[in-house]
Amino acid sequence: MALNKPKEDEQLNARLREGSTARAAFGDVIKLYSEPLYWQIRRMVQNHDDANDILQNTFMKAWMNLENFRGDAKLSTWLYKIAINESLSFLEKERLRNHLSLDDQEAAMTRQIMADENFNGDELARQLQAAIAQLPEKQRIVFNMKYFDDMRYEDMSEILGTSVGALKASYHLAVKKIEKYFKDNN
Amino acid sequence: MADKRSTILDQAREHGIAVPSAGMKVPEGYFADFAAKMTAELPDRPEVERPSEIEQKPKTPWEHVRPYVYMAAMFAGVWLMLQMFSMMGGQGQLVPLDDNAHLAKALESEDFLMEYLHDDIENWSLVDDMIDDETLDGDLQLDDLLIDFPEFVPTDSLYILPQ
Repeated sequence: MALNKPKEDEQLNARLREGSTARAAFGDVIKLYSEPLYWQIRRMVQNHDDANDILQNTFMKAWMNLENFRGDAKLSTWLYKIAINESLSFLEKERLRNHLSLDDQEAAMTRQIMADENFNGDELARQLQAAIAQLPEKQRIVFNMKYFDDMRYEDMSEILGTSVGALKASYHLAVKKIEKYFKDNN
Repeated sequence: MADKRSTILDQAREHGIAVPSAGMKVPEGYFADFAAKMTAELPDRPEVERPSEIEQKPKTPWEHVRPYVYMAAMFAGVWLMLQMFSMMGGQGQLVPLDDNAHLAKALESEDFLMEYLHDDIENWSLVDDMIDDETLDGDLQLDDLLIDFPEFVPTDSLYILPQ
């Protein structure tokens, strides 16, 4: 994927900058980005209701800070950054609220995947999600963006503020850990 | 090992799992409903949607004078602060010794005087000095020195020294 084409972003940017078209343009932004952002968030938090809330917060923050965006940055990059920050903040708050360690939270997430009614994948898909849930948060984001969204490392680098080399290494490590998970769990 | 890793992830890809939804689902029509609902719920942002109106809005009289009022208040605050520091510092004047109620009260007490002397005079170095300048005889005995000092009796009295 996946990030929007720069030309489409440019057109949207121009309409967002114009007061009379800003609201309608933002409506188009929501239509265009709600699905990719939703899946990005959902793969982080697993639960639909939580993902829905975070997605709403993401667009609300973007709208309330629209004047801060009006620069040269790509619209898609900016939205992904907000969505990922919101997801990480949510996970952190949940961890603190439930007095969980990082390991506990990963285990809870794995249990949730196994019992999730909104999961229509087969056993392999469940196992893969369980394996991904074992990864550290940042590594999980990198793996999700690369494997599921097929995002370019350059785009990921802009969103996550990490070098392309570090992202490649992170993805490689994630793949090895997933492989080990499948091996250990047969 | 590498082959097995490829096999698992490739197998997942062949199963159609390597897509954004990754085997998860959402309620029917979720994305269309979400976009409509979210757009409708966006709050009014006049500074974004009608910036020209905000720029052209005439200033009220208060908005005209506000910076000057704030500046005057700031100067007044600084002046008051300086006055306060000046009063607190007492402008460097000391309380005269001959008109000091605390000191007078302390000096009325013999206990205070004895305690003060015992605490503050190093008796033996004073005696050494007196012997050196021949004010005292070198054959002086310890009892000769102590006889002038009555036995110190601790009291509960509390002395307040002048500030």
